[in-house]
Amino acid sequence: MKKVSKTTCESSKNIDILKDPLNYISISSQRPSKVIAESRKTNFNEIYIKPSDEHIKKQSSRCLDCGNPYCEWKCPLHNIIPNWLELSKNGQFEKAAELMHETNPLPEICGRVCPQDRLCEQACTLETGFGAVTIGDVEKQISDKALANNWRPDLSNVKKLNKKVAVIGAGPAGIGCAELLARNGVDVTVYDRYPEIGGLLTFGIPGFKLEKEVIRKRRKFLEDIGITFKLNVEVGNDIKIEDIQKAFDSVFLGLGCYTSLDGELKGKKSKGVINALDYLIGNVYQQEKFNIKTIQSTDQYNYKNLKGKNVLVLGGGDTAMDCVRSAVRQNASKVTCVYRRDKHSMPGSPREVENAIEEGVEFIFNHQPTEILSNNNIVNGVNFDLASDDTSKKNNSNIIDADVVIIAFGFAASPSSWFSDIGLRTKANGLLDMSKGPLTNIENLFAGGDMVSGADLVVTAIAQGRDAATEILNSFG
Amino acid sequence: MNSSDNSYAQANQTLYNHNQAKDNCGFGLITQLDGIQSHQLIQTSITALIRMTHRGAISSDGLTGDGCGLQIQLSDNFFQNTAKELNFNIGSRYAIGQIFLSQNKTKRVFARQILEEELEKETLSIAGWRIVPVDTSTCGEVAKKSQPNIQQVFIRAPDGWSKHDLERRLFIARRRAADRIKNDQDYYVVSLSCLVIVYKGLVMPKYLSKFYKDLSDERMQSAICLFHQRFSTNTAPLWKYAQPFRFLAHNGEINTINANRNWSIARQNKLYSPLLPDLPKLSHLVNQNGSDSSSLDNMLEVLLAGGMDIFRALRLLIPPAWSKQKNMDADLRAFHEFNSMHMEPWDGPAGIVMSNGTQIACTLDRNGLRPARYVITKDRILTVASEIGVWDYDEADVIEKDRVGPGEMLAADTSTGQIWRTNKIDDMLKNRYPYLEWLRENTIKLKSNSLVEEIAAKKFIDEKLAELPVFEKMFNVSIEEKEQVIRVLANDSQEATSSMGDDTPVAVLSQKQRNLFDYFRQQFAQVTNPPIDPLRETSVMSLETCFGREHNVFQEANGLAHRVIVNEPVVNFAKYLQLKKLNQTHYQFQTLSMSYPLSDSLEDALTRLCEKAIELVQKGCVILHLTDRILSKETLPIQSVLATGAIHQALIRNGLRCDTNIFVETGTTRDSHHFAVLLGVGATAIYPYLSMQLINQMYEDDLLETDLLSARKNYLKGINKGLLKIMSKMGISTVASYRSAQLFEAVGLDRSICNKCFPDIQSRISGATFKDLERDAKLLALNAWRPHVKPSRQGQLKYVHGGEYHCYNPDVVTLLQKAVNSGEYSDYQKYSEVVNNRNIATIRDMFKLKINDPNHLLDKSSNSDAGNVDKIESILKRFDSAGMSIGALSPEAHESLAVAMNTIGGRSNSGEGGEDPTRFNSLKNSKIKQVASGRFGVSAQYLASAEVLQIKVAQGAKPGEGGQLPGAKVTLEIAKLRNATPGVTLISPPPHHDIYSIEDLAQLIFDLKQVNPRALISVKLVSGPGVGTIAAGVAKAYADMITIAGHDGGTGASPLTSVKYAGTPWELGLSEAHQALVENGLRDRICLQVDGGLKTGLDVVKGAILGADSFGFGTGPMVALGCKFLRICHLNNCATGIATQNKILRDNHFSGLPEKVINYFQFVALEVQNLLKKVGVNSVDKLIGRVDLLEIIEGQTSKQEHLDLQVILNSSKRPNNEMAHYKNKRNTPFDIGKLNQKILQDYKESNGASSKKTYQIKNYDRSVGASLSGYLGLLENENESEHAIKQKYIINFKGVAGQSFGVWNHSLLTLNLTGDANDYVGKGMSGGQINIRPNENIQYVASRGAIIGNTCLYGATGGELFAGGQAGERFAVRNSGAISCVEGVGDHGCEYMTGGTVVVLGPVGENFAAGMTGGTAIILDIRERLQRKVNLEHVEVFELATPECEDYIDLLKDIIEKHIISTNSPWAKKISDNFEHYLNYFMLVIPKESSSLSQFIPKTDKLITNLRVVK
Repeated sequence: MKKVSKTTCESSKNIDILKDPLNYISISSQRPSKVIAESRKTNFNEIYIKPSDEHIKKQSSRCLDCGNPYCEWKCPLHNIIPNWLELSKNGQFEKAAELMHETNPLPEICGRVCPQDRLCEQACTLETGFGAVTIGDVEKQISDKALANNWRPDLSNVKKLNKKVAVIGAGPAGIGCAELLARNGVDVTVYDRYPEIGGLLTFGIPGFKLEKEVIRKRRKFLEDIGITFKLNVEVGNDIKIEDIQKAFDSVFLGLGCYTSLDGELKGKKSKGVINALDYLIGNVYQQEKFNIKTIQSTDQYNYKNLKGKNVLVLGGGDTAMDCVRSAVRQNASKVTCVYRRDKHSMPGSPREVENAIEEGVEFIFNHQPTEILSNNNIVNGVNFDLASDDTSKKNNSNIIDADVVIIAFGFAASPSSWFSDIGLRTKANGLLDMSKGPLTNIENLFAGGDMVSGADLVVTAIAQGRDAATEILNSFG
Repeated sequence: MNSSDNSYAQANQTLYNHNQAKDNCGFGLITQLDGIQSHQLIQTSITALIRMTHRGAISSDGLTGDGCGLQIQLSDNFFQNTAKELNFNIGSRYAIGQIFLSQNKTKRVFARQILEEELEKETLSIAGWRIVPVDTSTCGEVAKKSQPNIQQVFIRAPDGWSKHDLERRLFIARRRAADRIKNDQDYYVVSLSCLVIVYKGLVMPKYLSKFYKDLSDERMQSAICLFHQRFSTNTAPLWKYAQPFRFLAHNGEINTINANRNWSIARQNKLYSPLLPDLPKLSHLVNQNGSDSSSLDNMLEVLLAGGMDIFRALRLLIPPAWSKQKNMDADLRAFHEFNSMHMEPWDGPAGIVMSNGTQIACTLDRNGLRPARYVITKDRILTVASEIGVWDYDEADVIEKDRVGPGEMLAADTSTGQIWRTNKIDDMLKNRYPYLEWLRENTIKLKSNSLVEEIAAKKFIDEKLAELPVFEKMFNVSIEEKEQVIRVLANDSQEATSSMGDDTPVAVLSQKQRNLFDYFRQQFAQVTNPPIDPLRETSVMSLETCFGREHNVFQEANGLAHRVIVNEPVVNFAKYLQLKKLNQTHYQFQTLSMSYPLSDSLEDALTRLCEKAIELVQKGCVILHLTDRILSKETLPIQSVLATGAIHQALIRNGLRCDTNIFVETGTTRDSHHFAVLLGVGATAIYPYLSMQLINQMYEDDLLETDLLSARKNYLKGINKGLLKIMSKMGISTVASYRSAQLFEAVGLDRSICNKCFPDIQSRISGATFKDLERDAKLLALNAWRPHVKPSRQGQLKYVHGGEYHCYNPDVVTLLQKAVNSGEYSDYQKYSEVVNNRNIATIRDMFKLKINDPNHLLDKSSNSDAGNVDKIESILKRFDSAGMSIGALSPEAHESLAVAMNTIGGRSNSGEGGEDPTRFNSLKNSKIKQVASGRFGVSAQYLASAEVLQIKVAQGAKPGEGGQLPGAKVTLEIAKLRNATPGVTLISPPPHHDIYSIEDLAQLIFDLKQVNPRALISVKLVSGPGVGTIAAGVAKAYADMITIAGHDGGTGASPLTSVKYAGTPWELGLSEAHQALVENGLRDRICLQVDGGLKTGLDVVKGAILGADSFGFGTGPMVALGCKFLRICHLNNCATGIATQNKILRDNHFSGLPEKVINYFQFVALEVQNLLKKVGVNSVDKLIGRVDLLEIIEGQTSKQEHLDLQVILNSSKRPNNEMAHYKNKRNTPFDIGKLNQKILQDYKESNGASSKKTYQIKNYDRSVGASLSGYLGLLENENESEHAIKQKYIINFKGVAGQSFGVWNHSLLTLNLTGDANDYVGKGMSGGQINIRPNENIQYVASRGAIIGNTCLYGATGGELFAGGQAGERFAVRNSGAISCVEGVGDHGCEYMTGGTVVVLGPVGENFAAGMTGGTAIILDIRERLQRKVNLEHVEVFELATPECEDYIDLLKDIIEKHIISTNSPWAKKISDNFEHYLNYFMLVIPKESSSLSQFIPKTDKLITNLRVVK
């Protein structure tokens, strides 16, 4: 732990450039290089190549440490970005990692899956004119490094509170809550119906964005700081919520949003129409050889191999990108993404769109799907209305052929049946009706994440989990 | 008081307080050294007074002076005869009292009776009362209204009493009488003595002897005359405040007065003299309000009456700088050190003349901030005055001429005819007692001990620092504070630099728990007194702190030197341990915990704590140790500042404070401001255990760049530097005079808290109560004991999510930029909504605009011109951009701003960095030209190009400090504009070296008006208590415009604590200034501007209602230009190309089109116009003072609820008369500058051809040459090259030149003067030549005395000055191009010099070349003392007589030859004739080589390079 900075900074030539207040001009913003499209298409491995430490330091040193840290302001978790960039610049990677964990239990994951180009990096002062600091990459590299070195926070001073909290759902919200509680001396047990933690992080996001090994490392970390995971356990099915409530001082719910929106399209029941999430989860199950018996409707997540298929993906968000790029990797004959508005309006990360284009995905914009066409209940195309600025040219339509149509329109709430048993209030749209902050209408029952605010970003869910944890801690005195 | 009374009182409370009048002046004395009395001498003194009329001020009636007067010997001739005429039997031993009595007969009779009773108690008999004959026709209306009834009491004393006995009895009788006559404001004893009498009043000097007929009576004779001419900031001055007082006349201001008054109370019990048995019974030793000079006079008379001689008394009260003077004799230092244990210095800018009837003395304070020139003529008449040439003696009769220097004293005894100069006085004093021996025997100096420190460095709170977070949270230490404050201090021993000012709410408005220290705003000197310079003039400052019991000042004995001395009041662990372990007989150490049980209330706990403290001290405690180190869940800590203040006050009340020392061990103090507050409320010394522990932790966490011991040392060093800076802001040199001075304003503290803990701190808007503070403390405590709560990040310096609110947060910045880019008003409205509807963040947010029914008001109300609302164009005219220099800004941004402001009809402000002359006649010209303390680029041409000349007295982000431009930003281009060295950081001096007092400001304004009569003269002040008084004074000094800046002003670079803790919100200052101007009848001739955080039209409207005619915008237009509020202005890497000189950034990344700024201001104006319509007022003029349009809204927090904001509204009220706002009246000085007019006319008539004519010049001919220089500058600007004037013009003068001779001299002008000149010769000269030579056939040796005054060549940018004699203090400060030769200079010569050449053929004073970063100085050092006089921080000294210096030798020869031609100096001739001999004594002073130079200058100066190679 001693004097890391002095020894690691010794390469004296770099000291000057790292300290030069104008180095954000001389050092250009450089994102990590990618495996070339041709070879990365052949597998589900992550596509970014690990950069050198020197590179990380240099990129970190470009931060201006603005009076108005726009990055931090834009980040839903309000990560203390300039501060850990400063540490990273000085080569104090472990300290940087420690600081990242102050606000975020999953920095290595956020570094991979956050749309930084819509959040911190877009807000970065340098984004206009100079190229943003590569915040996401630094976050990922540094936290990977820390985890690889088996770094753990020093909890030796933490006193046990002798309080027990159950967290239901091991997704970002649940982990956000559990981690903060564990760090503060609470005994935490996390229940999840899936065989691995992470929720949609693990099952909804393909390996080329987030390799599952990362999740396993994180689980190890969380177990090491004292969290107990009970996986493959579905509350309401395998264990009664009332029993949990009885056994724990407080309970946190982070169940997420799993109901796929289908846009009420005509023909959506045709064979060959797949919900994006089912497709992605099935893929992960197959790749990771998870046991799927715990999931009720087993065929929902069956592996779908799209090899040789003409695949049409409807939607323009990050999930749509995950689908098209998965399909490419399954050797689909043709993969097309159709979005109802223009490229600029796409809700997801532009970088993902670029990656998809590199990998050979075709994009069609300003097409509003109206009907899925089929022959013998087997999909053969989709009919679109063409959006146009010129109102006189309405009703222009276009049919695009397809063997498989993946619908990636987003997700709605999926309230469990036991909600009503314990009197947990929901709103008309199925989202929880909260009473005060992260507290539900039931005493000692907290909630956060997508089930409260609807489908949203990973960081938003984490933030809510952490807010709940703080409230729970406050309730303990 | 019942509640209705209370609310009545509240409803009428205002901010401007008439009693805060400040004064400055001209002063002097004339004496016949052999005591030969004459009437002639009195007449001469009155002439001298008349000749200094310009140093005083005149009331609005044009007749009432601010006061002048004479102190003369009691003329036996006159009073014996008068007594005879009146049949008063006064015998041979008598005294006369000159008494101001009430015009009310009952009061008058009562006062007379009491005085008689008290005199009779001393067995004196009253011979009779004489009505003093006065001619009131000479008085102005104002003077008449307040004129007292003036009578003389004739007192007969028993024969055989000595005069001194009689004086003492008169003194004690007078003081006892004063204690009894409490309810008579008019009663005032002007003098009561058997030796002297004082005549003074509110008349113009020329009428003084008409008003007092006695003075024109030939029988009235004296050998001593003290005289004084006053300049009061108050336009309704009082008779009794006129000077001289009973013993002295004072020019300047006692900066330390608060501490002096407090300690005089604390010390009263300690003073005992058998000569004055009644002393302890007096209600107070010195008066607690009124004039500072009169308090000093009070103290002096106590000391004299108690038996002290005038020498020790004056040296005790106003000591020279001794603690850091290594040149000083050890015995003399011991004398001063012994004195310092009994009395803190009464420092200030002070020139003092005094007399006890036989002896006279003149002394200057350690800084020498007031001029005192003296002349002795053949008939043994000594004249000392603020100026030379105050009466027309014959030059041929002069036998000696010189000046009194800083800390020097000149005295004479008319009974023996002896003259005493400083050395003789000091020798006499130091040899009286073996002071040095006493000190050696009894005084302990505490030293650091690195072994002990090492132990402390390891552990203190506990080994693992595990409990540290509890302390951090309990005392509200934020992560930000650790990183930005403590860590920076520990690494660099220097506080961090920040930029962009403070945009967070003041503490009381914040929704967060803020440190109590945040409520305290540092006071700072502006206009009436100067800040001093802690960077360059630190040699006069001292932090030395004494422990031990105080003793009687009248007794000088061995046993009274038991003291422990520490160098600084902030001690380290080693010294803390030593203090604990001192000999308990002399230094009993007792600990008192500043914590109280949760069940108790804070207020009660404080009371109990005070009781305990009193008990301990009564039992003999000498070191009272207060600590908050013991934390528990069951108790709360009392804020150290409350505990210290309350205990200090309680001890004073009980007469115990001087028996003990308050030593505070606390976790609450982290930055230098915290320490300053604690010292200011009475702490003797402080041990900051928590800061030290935090440094330990940072070391453990590997966050420091140095080893732990150094880090701990650095931190303390940095804190002490910061303390010096804070003290210097108030012009205070020693911590002894700062301690207990309470030089803060509380913004937002309940008055009852102040009353209990720090009664001298004003809290004008009241605020947070004890309960509120307790609530905060409980919240902090709750979280402190919760392990899961992390120490907060607070975000007070930078925006962080969930932290403190920032007015320019990312939302605000992004929305504004969107609006100016799109040019859509609807976008602007989104911005203004976010700003106008924010949570309460400023005082104005608590005032809601009463919007009347929008539809009908303007159109339907019959008396308003329907719909005839101010046009957008006319609203835009009221907008100025705030001063931001080129240098701080990129040239592109600076020009863009100028173009924008000129386009909309507003004005841009050049800032203090000069401006390229090619811009002067174009759209890029800044119409406001700033004149700041660095005087960068200020030339006649620059001044001539302005519509407004703004004197930046203070700056919102850092009042009391000068601007700074980091070296990285001083590029070749910028250096050229500023005549500076590229790459070298430019720091402007904290004071303007030509403004140490209000009459100096008047002089600078006069200078400016002479050079550019077309321009409005504006003075920029910062909001602080008393700014109204200052504003009124500034108006009396003939300014046309006053800017009141709020504390939230932005800045390019500024030390962190200055940004956070100095200045107050503009709402307070603006309304106070408005009220002061209204009440003094000056409002219509002053354009009042507000500046500070203005963002929207609503801000403008509120500003207008609170009293502003005009509006300054700093950050707003910057953000419009693209500034993203990065707060990196000081690093030269601004990514938006605005605050940088980097070429790439400026060329490729600056997108600040003028149109964006234009859009912004048009939006603001449109919003203003809409609001005008909504409130139903059709012009901004009519809005001013309409406080009925504002209502105070409910606060969002309990603290906000407790604010009393009605005082602001009361102060801003619109008067019923015509003088409600600025009416474009010019504020024209009474002095029309006759000589200047004549010169200008002659020039025009002769078409620029010089004539041989010689003008007679006298000391009242001021700023001579300026009008012509300005005229030439104007021609240059207007005609450009076409009709360029090229002919040189020579003017000859004979006599004594007034101040500012040859100010901003133009390059075509040569001024030849035969005679002497006063202060500021060649100030800002930009070219040409000024030659000053003494008269021929003189008897004195010209080279041994001053021929020109102080601060000559200040800010000169070119030209040549030759003077055949010595110069005063601060010669060639900030010279950046002038060449000069003089025959000696005073202290602080060549300070801040950045260019030019100065040759001194004689002695130099202390602190030579401090902060000199450019130019050359060559000194003839015959006595070989130079090495000790030079401040070697920035320069090095070489012997000139080396071959490498050949080029310099040639240069020197040239200059000496020119000097001989110009001045005919015999001394110079002698040197020239024997050059080889004298060459060996010449020394060369040049700046040290700077590594950053090479990157800017391709080839460094050949001369210097050669030299260094050899070295």
